[in-house]
Amino acid sequence: MGGTEVPMSGPALRIRGLRKAFPKVVAVAGVDLEVARGEVFGLLGPNGAGKTTTLEMIEGLTAPDAGEIEILGCTWARDGQAIRSRIGVQLQSTSLFNKIRVREALDLYGSYYPKARPTDELLALVQLQDKADAYHITLSGGQQQRLALALALVNDPDMVFLDEPTTGLDPQARRSLWDIVRRMKAEGRTVLITTHYMEEAEALCDRLAIMDHGQVIASGTPASLIAQLAIPSVVELTFEGSAPDPAAFSARLGEPVERRGERWEIPTRDPKALLPRLLETAEIAAVPYQQVHVRRATLEDVFLHQTGRSLRD
Amino acid sequence: MVKMVWRQFAMEWKLYTRDKGAMFWTFAFPVVMLLGFGFIFRGGGGPKLSVVYVEPAISSPKDAALCKAMGDLQLKVIRLAPAEAEARWGRGETALEVLPAGSGYRMRLNSYLLAQGGPTAGLVNQAWMMAQARLAGAPEPGRIPVSVESPGGRKASNYAAFLLPGLLGLNLLSIGLFSVGMVNVSYREKGKFRRLAVTPLPKWVFLMGQVLQRLAICLAQAVVLVAVGWAVFGIRNQGSYLDLTLVMVLGTACFMSFGFALSSLADTAESYAAIANVFFFPLMLLSGVYFTLDSAPHWLQHAVWILPLAPFLTTLRAVFNDGASLAGHGLALAVVGAWAVVTFLVAVRRFRWA
Ligand SMILES: Nc1ncnc2c1ncn2[C@@H]1O[C@H](COP(=O)(O)OP(=O)(O)OP(=O)(O)O)[C@@H](O)[C@H]1O
Ligand SMILES: [Mg+2]
Repeated sequence: MGGTEVPMSGPALRIRGLRKAFPKVVAVAGVDLEVARGEVFGLLGPNGAGKTTTLEMIEGLTAPDAGEIEILGCTWARDGQAIRSRIGVQLQSTSLFNKIRVREALDLYGSYYPKARPTDELLALVQLQDKADAYHITLSGGQQQRLALALALVNDPDMVFLDEPTTGLDPQARRSLWDIVRRMKAEGRTVLITTHYMEEAEALCDRLAIMDHGQVIASGTPASLIAQLAIPSVVELTFEGSAPDPAAFSARLGEPVERRGERWEIPTRDPKALLPRLLETAEIAAVPYQQVHVRRATLEDVFLHQTGRSLRD
Repeated sequence: MVKMVWRQFAMEWKLYTRDKGAMFWTFAFPVVMLLGFGFIFRGGGGPKLSVVYVEPAISSPKDAALCKAMGDLQLKVIRLAPAEAEARWGRGETALEVLPAGSGYRMRLNSYLLAQGGPTAGLVNQAWMMAQARLAGAPEPGRIPVSVESPGGRKASNYAAFLLPGLLGLNLLSIGLFSVGMVNVSYREKGKFRRLAVTPLPKWVFLMGQVLQRLAICLAQAVVLVAVGWAVFGIRNQGSYLDLTLVMVLGTACFMSFGFALSSLADTAESYAAIANVFFFPLMLLSGVYFTLDSAPHWLQHAVWILPLAPFLTTLRAVFNDGASLAGHGLALAVVGAWAVVTFLVAVRRFRWA
């Protein structure tokens, strides 16, 4: 195979007007995306945003209702087999045959491709050497995730799709997954990854798109998304136990105040000017806060700002 | 291509042998059936028919003569006092009862058990005529001699010899519908095929690997069953082993593909079970697994030949029990072969990974 008849220029992935409706819900409602070659691209969004559905349409698992997909210069209608042999896929949950051994699974799936990476190399990459002869069903959740990652790399793919690869991993395994993703990028592969974790997206992704209700509501580099927000800072007042209703305080202060669990958040362009006024007003109103923090806005705030909801929960 | 199919076959085989429980039952079940039914119906005629004989208050010579004649006709006579007989009747255990009535008798037949009671009533009447003749001192009525032979005439054999090919066919049907069809629906439902769907593995290679692996199981199972039949009941294959193997291979291919094709009709294991039973029970009961259909209406006997099990069993019995060659069974083989091809094509076309 190699890349002989396949164009090597142009974006790795181009999607236009992708739509998918299930009987009760429109899962993907017109998504356009473009991912450049060699890029790590993140897809962020809360549960049910349509990330997995989008990915599975790109991977050829789900037929779209409408829209165009072009991967590595190929389309599903014309070059399905070529696409399959050049992409690597980690599904959100990978269910293999219960009694297949780790090494056998890697050998078997490798055998489906024109070229396959050596099994021992993959085992070492995801640190499953000790479990090489264990049955799939006896692996822990995190180990199964790592095997699924190794399977996604078994054909030395040009483009890799990772659907929440760090969910269920311990902090160390998560770090090592980040290293693996960075190495994929260094090797020139294109990566499309979904996650709920902002810090992960900030750490790994060159560019990202935020999805909600089946649509992309913002996209760009992490820095540009935060800059677009035009609210570079957030002042937080923390309480012991859950925070009281901020409505009266917000009116008195003349700024919007949002309640998030045990704290109030006040987004601001100018924390230096806000702080003295805020503390004074809090003093007068006898607000029983514990601490004050000022922090830089994050992707989480971008999401909050766009949707009024938090990414997780 | 061949290498890919082989690899798929080898992996299926490996996974199968790791499931010891399933493996044991696959092999044990037909053997248990053969031993069980083979022994129960050993005499060839099945168990004796039974009659409840209600004892009269005062016994007369004619009563003794009737009982003796019934015994001579191989009926199992259960003599009970009226109260006990009535209680047994009330529990629904009695198929037929002979009661004293006036100077003679009357018979009472259980409406649920007419299949048993009907032939029994005929025998009781025959016994009564025999008893009357004996009482009258007339010469013993003559009887038509009976000999038991297998239809092909090569070797007299027992019910087990009739049953064994039936069980071979039943196995294929149940492995096809359940080991292939059910397993595939439940794997699909659990998402075990989705990871395969994103690889370039062609569907037909996957299907072929499975069909070949099930074929190997079915043939191994047939060898075990034939060996047990030979060791325990002295049943021998009367035909050529080549013909037997050909028929078995064709039948296996047919029923495995049948299961595959059927599995494409259902999305959940529950709905599949319902669909599979719609085929399983009629095929099992009407295709001549346990008994022949010669008393069934003509149209039914022809109708079951549209489905693959009846022609398969006819051919298998012709080869195995009567030593026939395949040449005379072209139509039956064509029906089975057509099912094999059509269902495999349907299976490949309709098979979906998710
Ligand atoms: N097979 C299906 N049948 C019906 N509805 C579905 C199906 N798959 C997904 N949905 C619905 O489509 C919407 C999008 O689901 P999707 O799995 O794409 O979300 P997601 O962004 O991946 O969420 P998560 O972060 O929880 O993985 C949800 O409302 C979901 O209930
Ligand atoms: Mg998802």
